[in-house]
Amino acid sequence: MEEIKNRVLQVLSDGNLDYRQKKHHLAYIAESTQDYPDILKEATEALNEKIICDLFEGNAPYRPRYVLPDYAYALKNGVNYLELEPPTNFDEAINFLSILYLQVPSITGYSVYLGDIDTLLLDYVGDLSEDKIYKKMKLFWRFIDRTLPDAFVHINIGPEDNVIARVILRIERELKQVVPNLTLKYDPEITSDELLLEASKTVFEVAKPHIANHKMTAADFKGEYGVVSCYNSLPVGGGSHTLIRLNLKKITDLHSGNAESFISGTLKKYCEMTLDVIEARSKYLVECVKYYDTDFLAKEGIISLDNFSAMFGFYGLAECVNQLMKRCGKELCYGKDEEANQLAHLILEEMKKIVDARELPYCKANNGKAFFHAQSGIDIDIEETAGARIPIGSEPDIYSHINTVAPHHHLFNGGISDIFHFDETVKRNPAAILDIIKGAFRKGMRMFTFNLSNGEFIRITGYLVRRSDLKEFREEGSRYGSALFAANSMDNANVDNRVSKRVISNEQVAGKY
Amino acid sequence: MSKLQANISGIIKSSVIDGPGNRMVIFFQECNLNCMYCHNSHTIGLCNLCGTCVDTCPTNSLKIDSENKRIIHNENTCTRCDECIKVCPENSSPFYKQMSVEDVICEILEVKDFISGITVSGGEVMLHAPFLSLLFQEIKSHSDLKHLSILIDSNGNIEQEKWNSLLPLIDGVMLDIKAYSAKTHKQITGYSNEKILKSIEYLNDKNKLKELRFVLTPDYNNDESELREIAKLMKSVSPNVGKTLIKMRNYGIRKEFSFLREASSEEMNFAKNIFVQADIDILVI
Repeated sequence: MEEIKNRVLQVLSDGNLDYRQKKHHLAYIAESTQDYPDILKEATEALNEKIICDLFEGNAPYRPRYVLPDYAYALKNGVNYLELEPPTNFDEAINFLSILYLQVPSITGYSVYLGDIDTLLLDYVGDLSEDKIYKKMKLFWRFIDRTLPDAFVHINIGPEDNVIARVILRIERELKQVVPNLTLKYDPEITSDELLLEASKTVFEVAKPHIANHKMTAADFKGEYGVVSCYNSLPVGGGSHTLIRLNLKKITDLHSGNAESFISGTLKKYCEMTLDVIEARSKYLVECVKYYDTDFLAKEGIISLDNFSAMFGFYGLAECVNQLMKRCGKELCYGKDEEANQLAHLILEEMKKIVDARELPYCKANNGKAFFHAQSGIDIDIEETAGARIPIGSEPDIYSHINTVAPHHHLFNGGISDIFHFDETVKRNPAAILDIIKGAFRKGMRMFTFNLSNGEFIRITGYLVRRSDLKEFREEGSRYGSALFAANSMDNANVDNRVSKRVISNEQVAGKY
Repeated sequence: MSKLQANISGIIKSSVIDGPGNRMVIFFQECNLNCMYCHNSHTIGLCNLCGTCVDTCPTNSLKIDSENKRIIHNENTCTRCDECIKVCPENSSPFYKQMSVEDVICEILEVKDFISGITVSGGEVMLHAPFLSLLFQEIKSHSDLKHLSILIDSNGNIEQEKWNSLLPLIDGVMLDIKAYSAKTHKQITGYSNEKILKSIEYLNDKNKLKELRFVLTPDYNNDESELREIAKLMKSVSPNVGKTLIKMRNYGIRKEFSFLREASSEEMNFAKNIFVQADIDILVI
């Protein structure tokens, strides 16, 4: 009890946290007084050792990690719980969504998915001029940034070229806000080159949107999908109960044999253990908390348990592969040497098989299996490279980089990201970016994210921060929950020096107290 | 395929500054101008096997292969200190390679999914017109490559008829004008500019002039009358031709020309204003 009191006091007296942030951390401490869902002792130890990481989701999951409301359904049917009638015009639609956003749970307390916003709003445009839409959207965008101040809050546009998508890109360039994070769903057969060009020019200014390979991603889902948080692709009207990630570096440290025995022994053992944790947490949420029986989103059909699954993530592939290579007496590196790349592919394919072989409860959205996800890292990852990325600073030339990672992107129905860096000169020739994105998707990449060197916005692992916010945070705290995360990442992972780039998230903040 | 070969000084597989989109750029060895500010002066001359570089190489990575009349370069021991390039009396390099059209096509195929097109550059690429003709025909008849655009980056110092067979195969030519007055041109490049001015006119008439660039070199081509002549020339070509004013950078130029100085921002603005006054939409870089 004394320990809890001290932790609470630490939060209460932390001048860098605002009121709402304090409340969030206090809730985390309260949750930590509960016993962890029922798992084997070995799994508990693995969690304690951070061999398996639950991304600070808390001891007693009382809301899903990722919720993707079916906003189209809500707009059409209204929401009884919030006493909202279906909107009849643009203003009402924006007002409706603004209210609903604030009610969507997540680990960070802020909704990770705000919908495919252009598609949602196009029905309400009526005879509004582009200028009127622009003015209304600009206020809406300010509302989103100020009320949902978390870089994991994510919104989608595309694949069709339309007035709202274009207005959003313009507003993004003007407002230069961290929130919302943004993905353009891109399909060369549907999306115009002009929209992709607008998107690329927007990346030059604010390091977003990310470009998702729409055709490839859509094929992995029964219904609609959304890209949320840090490159997680999940079903709309559902989501993921939990995301548990396996530290491949740490399990390689524990392993004492060669690559072959690693794959057949250690890897399999820890993948199963990770899946045990996923199963226990999902059951707790569904059976003990009865979230899906009680929350208004589920009761009103805006989400449905049938559209949920869980996510199996991992990180530190590069360190795992390089270490296994070393053990065979070979100084070969992932991203640089073909033999190392082949081993990486083999490990990923093996993991995918293990994940796909395990029947999990309450994972109907993916036919009873977890979504496989290359987790893009958090601030505490000091020795491990995010997901299946090539370590920061040792990325090869862009074609080799794409050719190394593209062959495994198809495995990741839960999402994967690699970040590419371009020199400022590309600003004069944005068509060059289009060529590379199209080429990358032809090679099988699922998601393309790029940054310009020396941009004001920095991607940490999956989310964005402004350079100035980082500086400010180090001095006096930031309005954005994710700035702490980013500051830690910058300190720990050298992300500022990457030859290619991307940003992170907020989940672990509470674990600090 | 033809046995015709060309001396290739380098290939850049991704360039965003050699025409629209992402492009593969193929650099040819040998030039028929000798610009004072040339940043790639080792691409001007051809190797005559004099052996100066072989004797200079600190890691003994170069050898003369007299039988095949070439320099053998050991990539494993070479540290790319570029001493060989600095001492070459011919403004050449031991690194360029003979490549066939087939070799170049293989290189393009490797990156075809990522590029809008190719740009051939130099040296002076038009010295290899027969090779280019074959290369371009091969690209245009290849099912995986025919969509690629083809740009030529040339100094224009070439007989008019050399362009003829190439024009139907290419999308355009990017060309520099170093000076309008023949005298100044000779000072900067060592040669007069009659052929270049004709090339500009001819390519513009044929609708194949893509870009016309002018490199501002203080104390040589930055006086008002010279600038007004250049502006007149730029105005005489189609408004669709991109026009660029480039600041000469003295980084990487040969020691003997280290006296060249970069234009101040006032000098750049002065030049820019002359073009703007002439109603020319000009990009300054």
